[in-house]
Amino acid sequence: METLLDIRNLSVDFRTTRGRVHALRDVSFKVPKNRFVGVVGESGSGKSTVLWSILGLLAGNAEVTGGAIEFGDRDLLKMTEAQLRGVRGEEISVVFQDPMTSQIPVLTYAEQMQDVLYRRKGMSTEEKRRRAVELMAKVGIPDPETRIDQYPHHFSGGMRQRAGIAMALLTDPSLILADEPTTALDVTMEAQIIHLLQELQNDLDATVVLVSHNLGLVAELCDEVVVMYAGEVVEAGDVRQIFHAPRHPYTRALLECDPARISDTQGRLPVIPGDVPDLAHPPGGCIFAARCPRAMDICRERTPPDVAGQAGGVARCHLLDGPAADPGWPPPEDVQVVQGGRAPAAPLPAPAIGDTPVLEVEDLNVRFQTMGALRARMKGISDPFVDAVLDVSLSVRPGETVGLVGESGSGKTTFGRTVLNLVPAERGSVRFRGDEVRNMPERHFKPLRRDMAMMFQDPVGSLSPRKSVRALVTEPFQIHGLRGVDLDAEAERLCDLVRLPKAFLSRYPHELSGGQARRVGVARALALNPKLIIADEPTAGLDVSVQGEILNLMADLQAEHGLGYLIITHNLPVVRHISDRLAIMYLGRIVEQGDAEEIFRQPAHPYTEALVRGVPQPDPDRRRTHVALTGEVPSLMNRPTGCDFVNRCPYADDYCRQVQPGVSAQPDGRRYRCHYPLTRPARSA
Amino acid sequence: MSEKRSETATGSPAVDTSGVAAETVPDALRESAARERREKLRLFLTNWQGVTGLTLVLLFFASAIFAPWLAPYDPNAIDIPARMSGPTLDHWAGTDQLGRDTFSRMLYGGRVALKVAAIGVSVALVIGLALGMLAGYGPRWLDNLLLLAFDTVRAFPTIVLALATVALTGPSLELVLAIVIVTSIPQYARIARTSTLALKSTDFILAERSLGAGMGRVLFHHVMPNVIGPLLILAAMEVPVVVTVEAGLSFLGLGVLPPTASWGTILNEGYLVIRDTPWLVIAGGIPLILTTLGFTFLGEALRDVFDPRMNRGR
Repeated sequence: METLLDIRNLSVDFRTTRGRVHALRDVSFKVPKNRFVGVVGESGSGKSTVLWSILGLLAGNAEVTGGAIEFGDRDLLKMTEAQLRGVRGEEISVVFQDPMTSQIPVLTYAEQMQDVLYRRKGMSTEEKRRRAVELMAKVGIPDPETRIDQYPHHFSGGMRQRAGIAMALLTDPSLILADEPTTALDVTMEAQIIHLLQELQNDLDATVVLVSHNLGLVAELCDEVVVMYAGEVVEAGDVRQIFHAPRHPYTRALLECDPARISDTQGRLPVIPGDVPDLAHPPGGCIFAARCPRAMDICRERTPPDVAGQAGGVARCHLLDGPAADPGWPPPEDVQVVQGGRAPAAPLPAPAIGDTPVLEVEDLNVRFQTMGALRARMKGISDPFVDAVLDVSLSVRPGETVGLVGESGSGKTTFGRTVLNLVPAERGSVRFRGDEVRNMPERHFKPLRRDMAMMFQDPVGSLSPRKSVRALVTEPFQIHGLRGVDLDAEAERLCDLVRLPKAFLSRYPHELSGGQARRVGVARALALNPKLIIADEPTAGLDVSVQGEILNLMADLQAEHGLGYLIITHNLPVVRHISDRLAIMYLGRIVEQGDAEEIFRQPAHPYTEALVRGVPQPDPDRRRTHVALTGEVPSLMNRPTGCDFVNRCPYADDYCRQVQPGVSAQPDGRRYRCHYPLTRPARSA
Repeated sequence: MSEKRSETATGSPAVDTSGVAAETVPDALRESAARERREKLRLFLTNWQGVTGLTLVLLFFASAIFAPWLAPYDPNAIDIPARMSGPTLDHWAGTDQLGRDTFSRMLYGGRVALKVAAIGVSVALVIGLALGMLAGYGPRWLDNLLLLAFDTVRAFPTIVLALATVALTGPSLELVLAIVIVTSIPQYARIARTSTLALKSTDFILAERSLGAGMGRVLFHHVMPNVIGPLLILAAMEVPVVVTVEAGLSFLGLGVLPPTASWGTILNEGYLVIRDTPWLVIAGGIPLILTTLGFTFLGEALRDVFDPRMNRGR
């Protein structure tokens, strides 16, 4: 097979105030023509650095210390800036992670796409436009002739990413680099983009390098996979071989940790203990040795060899070849390599779920004003509000975990903040331990804040940047004026509680990794022994290997203290593992609510079905062939008449378009808003 | 409690997550923090602007503070025979029309400049910071009200404001100070307000509120440390402006009263006798130029080193 891009022994250093960080060390892999190559790794693995090295767009403090990047017969590292500019965009183009920030907000798509073709002097403006329209149609933008004259802010997130892909394809490049192309999108949008890329793959015979941390995405799309860890390629090979018979312990562990692959929802999630090593001083020997469950003495002393496999592919491990080779490695697929999963004799202590709810929300409504009263009067709008949360009823009992799931814009975060009295509510009732607390004045509510805590989405960003960890974890005591508390002792107690080494007490937030910062967040939430914790995306920004640790920790603390959790998330595989009950939110309404396991087994609402089926599976043999859900979440400003979901629902009929479904209940306690629930047998008729 | 949990039960052994033995972490950490500070210092000291600025600023402070010991003469001592002399061995910077030693008057004039700069800038900084944070964090109506006040003050030309006030009260150093403070508050307040507004909706401020932190705590513990950096740099660059305002007002006879020496009054007197001797104007102008340059260089160098947005990178 013809090789299009050949990266050989690439090494890149970053000069930082901490010294030289060896971000890439001796990275080699080939990209064959007309194949999708996935580069997988956790944060800090150097996968993005590889991508930017190809284009010669590394940060100013980066320095390529060795190696070659051969593109066709040219070495990209030896090209002059002018030559590189000729390659960028024309022969190699990029699909960016965030379509919100990678497109020019003040130019229409037509102008932006004509600009992309600026080198084509012989091409007339009409021709350029025709080509742009053609590609916009190809990526599934409806009515491309008129929409091409719109600005990026007229497009929704998914449409923008489609347009981004069209722009990347415009010059007919021989290589496309995709940097986390679906990370900024919701589950249903992600499914659509994956489907689009699959189609393009069949149509265009494109060569794509896809960089992602999402194993599901890579399994769905790629032909070959390169697994990176801490700046080294630890394994590379065919996608089926990587996902079904991984040979490196890291690949194996990474796959075992992915919640989407674990069908058993009881027990703990497996984790890879430890952290990525400090690349300013990379340890000798195998880079993964410190975290490897099978590490031997030789691993710490000698760099393992690159061992070629029978089915092609290479893995860098002592277990495969040399004096320490183990014929029993890799073990069969059902043997768990990493610890902490189902195998160890530590089933979760079944949390005793109390009877009286700690939190009871009934018919809660939250509205936001969209314009001033005067402007609304002048424009003749009688009701200048949008309903962010509509008639939401939900309860959380002590010891229970309730998952609140929805796409962005569904109102789930607003709901969480309203419960905590950070956003005023319009109507309804919020009862905390039996007392009505909705819109309570802050001075009455403050004592209650000791009993309810919130964990925020961004683990590092939710910590005050100029405070040490010690000040952060002891702050709740100071805020609530608790006297007679030995703050140092409390800080150490909380550190123990969340298993954070005490030495970290003197660190500042920017010196913590995501997982460590998340632990500090948990410690702060737990400082005053609350009864209820509202966690907004507790695993956002965490790597697969770390999120298991945090979720296990949260489960332990729940069992110990009888905490009630309300977990707000869009990550279905995660929520499946930790929730007792689920509530699915769409456009501010809860469309389905009930036992988590039951909902996953048989959703009642078509939207729930789309979400459950929409999760990309980290298994190349279970690629999807169709998209469950078309269209996008409509704006809150123009809610459809009838059922909120009617425009995207594959089963909708005229009745759905006219009549808003009320809440129906099943005998098992499941509640849903749908005229034709999927659980009713008559449905199929 | 936590101690009872076995390591296998938790699924995450109590390894030190940084991959170093636990007891070495504080040292390594202190070391890395110290290295970062050393690096910052090195960056600053290799910046020629920074070093020049720092030298000039130190010179300014030292000359003003130690003026009584450094000055060869009393600044108001009259030596009629040597009046209007150029630089000589007795009078290094010459004398003025009354025979007063210009070099001594320059040194003593620096004291006035230092006093106005130190008091004016620090008071304006504190008030501006407080008002700005209040405007940014407080309710909308308060924000609008304070903004209106800031804009009103800024719209007033400083000199005209000073002239009007002097007409009411008569010239004095206190008046100069008051005018400097009032007119420079809005600059600090504007910057503090913008940064506070940006911080107001961040996760960590929301997290503090969800813990029950009140406005005072949020502002002083969490907003201020993040806002003050750029303000201090602005203050360093504001010092020369204040010094020139004082000199300008004194030049116009609205500032310090004679016979007190100030760079402005030296310039003013020199301007009256410029046809006879240029030395007085030069002697009053040079310290002004050097101070302005010094503080501006220092401020710019500080910003280059400490403002993360100025760092190179992608």
